[in-house]
Amino acid sequence: MKVLNVVGRRIPMYDAAAKAMGQAQFTDDLERPGMLHGRFVRSTIAHGRILQVDVSRALVLPGVKGVITGRDIPDRVYGIVPKGKDEHALARDKVRYIGDAVAAVVAVDVETAEEAVRLVKVEYEELPAVFDPLDAIQEGAPIVHDNVPNNISASIRKEWGDVEKAFAKSDYVFEDSFFSQAVNHAPIEPHAALAQYDPQNGDLTIWSSTQIPYFLKRNLATTLLIPENKVRVIKPKVGGGFGGKIDMFSKDFCACWFARELLRPVKFVYEREEVFQNTRQRHPMYITVKTGVAKDGKILAQQIKAHADGGAYNSTAPLMITLSCFFIMIPYRIENLLYEGYHVYTNKPTGGAMRGHGIPQARFAIERQLDMIAGRIGVDAAEMRVRNAIQPGEPHPAGFIINTCGFADSVKEAAKAIGWTEKRGKLPFGRGVGIAGASFPSGVANMAHLSSGSVVQLTREGRVNVLSGAADIGQGAETVICQIVAEQLGVPMEDVRITAADTGICPLDAGTFGSGVTVRAGNAALLAANDVRGQLFQFVAERLEANIDDLVAADRRIWVNGSPDRGMSLNDALHAYQYADNPLPIVGRGSWIPPTEQPTSLLTKNGNFSPSYSFMTQAAEVEVDIETGKVRVIKMVTAHDCGQPINPMLVEGQLEGSIMGGMGQALYEDSTCIDGQQYNPSFLDYGFPTAMEMPEMESVHIDTDDPLGPFGAKEAGEGTQLAPAPAIVNAIADAIGLEFHRLPVTPAMILEGLRKKQGKAEGTDSST
Amino acid sequence: MGKKTVLELMINGDTFEIACAPNMTLLEALRDKALLTGTKRGCDTGGCGACTVIMDGEAVLACLTLAVEAEGCDIRTIEGLALDGKLSPLQEAFVEHGAIQCGFCSPGFIMSATALLAEVPSPGREEIRRHLAGNLCRCTGYVKIIGAVESVAVKDRGGEK
Amino acid sequence: MHLPIFTHRQPADFAGVVSALTEGSGAKVLAGGTDLLVNMKHRIEMPETLVSLKKVADIRGISLEGDATVIGAATTLKEIRQNSELERKFPALVQAAMSVGSYRHQAMGTLGGNLCQNTRCRFFNQSWQWRQVRSLCYKVGGEDCHVIGRKHTCFSTYSGDVAPALLVLDASLRITGPDGPREAPLSTLYSGEGRTPVTLGRGEFVTAVVIPGAAARGKSRYEKFSLRGSIDFPIVGAAVWRGDGSVRAAYTGVDRAPVRASELEAELAGQELTDASLKRGANLAHKAAKIAPTSVHPVSFKRELMGVLFVKAMRDIS
Repeated sequence: MKVLNVVGRRIPMYDAAAKAMGQAQFTDDLERPGMLHGRFVRSTIAHGRILQVDVSRALVLPGVKGVITGRDIPDRVYGIVPKGKDEHALARDKVRYIGDAVAAVVAVDVETAEEAVRLVKVEYEELPAVFDPLDAIQEGAPIVHDNVPNNISASIRKEWGDVEKAFAKSDYVFEDSFFSQAVNHAPIEPHAALAQYDPQNGDLTIWSSTQIPYFLKRNLATTLLIPENKVRVIKPKVGGGFGGKIDMFSKDFCACWFARELLRPVKFVYEREEVFQNTRQRHPMYITVKTGVAKDGKILAQQIKAHADGGAYNSTAPLMITLSCFFIMIPYRIENLLYEGYHVYTNKPTGGAMRGHGIPQARFAIERQLDMIAGRIGVDAAEMRVRNAIQPGEPHPAGFIINTCGFADSVKEAAKAIGWTEKRGKLPFGRGVGIAGASFPSGVANMAHLSSGSVVQLTREGRVNVLSGAADIGQGAETVICQIVAEQLGVPMEDVRITAADTGICPLDAGTFGSGVTVRAGNAALLAANDVRGQLFQFVAERLEANIDDLVAADRRIWVNGSPDRGMSLNDALHAYQYADNPLPIVGRGSWIPPTEQPTSLLTKNGNFSPSYSFMTQAAEVEVDIETGKVRVIKMVTAHDCGQPINPMLVEGQLEGSIMGGMGQALYEDSTCIDGQQYNPSFLDYGFPTAMEMPEMESVHIDTDDPLGPFGAKEAGEGTQLAPAPAIVNAIADAIGLEFHRLPVTPAMILEGLRKKQGKAEGTDSST
Repeated sequence: MGKKTVLELMINGDTFEIACAPNMTLLEALRDKALLTGTKRGCDTGGCGACTVIMDGEAVLACLTLAVEAEGCDIRTIEGLALDGKLSPLQEAFVEHGAIQCGFCSPGFIMSATALLAEVPSPGREEIRRHLAGNLCRCTGYVKIIGAVESVAVKDRGGEK
Repeated sequence: MHLPIFTHRQPADFAGVVSALTEGSGAKVLAGGTDLLVNMKHRIEMPETLVSLKKVADIRGISLEGDATVIGAATTLKEIRQNSELERKFPALVQAAMSVGSYRHQAMGTLGGNLCQNTRCRFFNQSWQWRQVRSLCYKVGGEDCHVIGRKHTCFSTYSGDVAPALLVLDASLRITGPDGPREAPLSTLYSGEGRTPVTLGRGEFVTAVVIPGAAARGKSRYEKFSLRGSIDFPIVGAAVWRGDGSVRAAYTGVDRAPVRASELEAELAGQELTDASLKRGANLAHKAAKIAPTSVHPVSFKRELMGVLFVKAMRDIS
């Protein structure tokens, strides 16, 4: 096996020291001479026509430099998914939720801009509003977007086998309904944008806290009517994304608009309340699952109906509902399946991509139901999962190509680590263990615009400069890319510098979503490094009278494999290369796109969805205080097949973070609304878990080596967000015998459930 | 904007003259006036700890401290921890343990932990958790942050022997 | 979110505070600021003047006067948390102080500030922008209560952690104002009205808390229920004290003021404390409060918690 020096090592992120010293700059840390500050006027009604916006009092406030409404900017809609575009930077005719941006103000400082916002008066004609997707699909419901009369803006129906026939043949058929709540990404960095315009050459530069610089660039060009080659998007450090920055927002468009109009730099930073209310959230979803099983627990058929509460706009709607459907197809073998999913508009905050993107809701429903079925038919819940686990290489009904798959092993290992056989059903009342499984793609291969590019330069001094379009949002993408390049060129990490996510100088990249960055951008960087290697090593091979394929490199040295003395330092090699009149720096290029026969939406045609799939099982042990209903998560285990980790420390960080995210989803977080208004738009009231809630965590690596991933890597970080919530709720069921169908499970729900159960038991007693 | 006065703030051993009205918070003074942007604004209402600085030895929330009330105090921010470019042991531990992901909450965590270790050189794990629980992190799940602080605390304990 | 404009005063003594408080019409005391400044950013409190206690002499520290313990109003919650003498004598007080907010809030927040904190409501503790969706609520100067849909009433909930602990310890307050100093039982600090929950007169402020020596001759405990182990306000908080044949219980998070559970206390007076008697008391706990849906937590749940927390707390000191 190949010896690796940089890849596979627990290396701190290359920018960790800068972050530890407070030197790393996030968008709001950037300051420009003459910079103006912006704020938004937001809708105070859930649904209505804008009759009039009176900005006159705001405009005359000293220090105010501009006020615009939706009528002052081009009538262009934007959207992250091309066919789902439905949003204006500022509402034009109608407002569709409480908080919809109606006008934007810029002033010499934030204080003045805030004051100006208070002076803008908006007159509305209020329209009936709808706050629940199941209401919104009814005949005669208020119509959120006039061009979508049934409020269903995206849907998918996927079928194979014969569900009805399989149900008829099943020993048991169960139908259960579930609800998963709205969850906010709650990155600690609020969304921000700073734009600057150069009137000399017409260049517009925007620094934005974004996960998708290239999508943002394109949408800025098409909405503000600027040639795309005049727009440059630079992503500074991003303080967490979790999918919430896979979109663009009023702040991006308005910063750019004002910068160009006023010829001064303009910055917009969202308040925490705006992050909660006006960015995105995980879609609330109603899901009904009907499953047919054989006596031994084998799944024979599954029929699923899902209604996602999309809120006021589409954002990622078509993709979200597709993903939600597709990841029902693994990690279990389901020979007969029918899925119907709907994305429904309501007059509420907008749903979008959030860590897992439509899949956590589906996994909650399915993993909960599997547990309930196991209990009803008397099969062990872990054993049932193993029995239905998909195997590597097996043909998949939808055409997925599963090259490597450690799912069955992950169930066994997670069960072992949590003490399944000793504990399940055997712990004292109030204490229990639960398990849940999941799978996730390493990036999606079914859409256009999904290639990543990379340029690697090797200078005369042996310094390596990497250009990549990948957007590091704190997960360590840039570090991982540097590790890959350093490994291939045989240099230590300290010799590698990276410039990434600057659309003006970096090659194209899809952005950070679908957990595809390591595989896609990593492979691009690997190819670019190999290009450099090919150029230099060919030269060195000739000097050493060796075959290029026999050369190895590490620690700034290149030598013939097996003969350490037959080699030269990188420095000598570069010297010689230069004196032989070869051009420097050596430049390598690489581009990578997941191999598919042809890009297809898969909606009409089967095919492979992703270059690889990660698999994981998570197990939870919980303790329920049966007096107060409070749940304490004692331990979480993750058994994880993510291929070969490029940086095990960063992989651990991903899964530890997603466990806390899953705990939040299961027990703490709910972006709930009162009459369409989000009631808890603050960290205090939203209340995601603190260090006090942190359970013991253990991870088990399931070893696979993916043929397509760079150095055998697969995705890590999104998939691990899928199973914690159902594992925890399954553990609660084991602890107190209550089956919860909705998230989050609150102490009040638990006490109520226990009371009902007690009442029932007492009722039974008295009747006997 | 209210009547402005000139404050003298002692930040990381340097004196900054800052013209401000009473309604300016210490966070605004640090970020917008002194341009020390290492201290972060996460929520502005004391709910996340990203703006934690050390004032006269005490870890406090800069977003809920008036700049005018900080006059005459010894204010330490994240920029003041490294000496001659060398990270403090705690900063070093955060880096080495992978306790930093996006890094937005890191300055607040490091300031909180610095204050803790100055007061209690060898805190137990539970005390570390309790002390840091006012700082929110959405990336790490806290595991490596607690581990990083523990590693420095343990080292100190070793040193006392 | 910017603070509104105000004048800042930093007097050096009690007299200076009183005079600064009485100068204008809308002056407020600024202690730790962790409650008041958030409310000001939200523009639900807009005092013209903030009178800082930071430089006031003789208002911070813990001392003994005879067998009574006197704690200066500007003593931080952290100082209380770390005081081993207080921990020995009045564990409920220390437990309450260390459950306030996070450790950051405890380092900044003061005893007096915690006691005098404003009441809370899901329609009140919101930003100016958020509150534009509804008519101005009664507590901010409008007419309507959005919690119960009536006019000229306010059910905002008192949510301080420390008050119930001090109530069961029978503490009193030292208050100074234009008419000089006075001493009053802590319970009289609270009006029981949501709109103006604190009874201090114009120019008055709390200078110290006095805990009688007798309180140390009983056992006490504060039991807080919140979802998270830090930062959160209590959903319900219960303090209990038992000594010389009597039991005292007080609650926060359940009404417009912190409340003593008098029915519960009467039921258990002179009784032997058994599982059965505690349960009888617990069942009466909710009678002390008129719980309104000012948070997302169901009223029935809070009512149940009142009994549950009482039993838990009593169990801990049995």
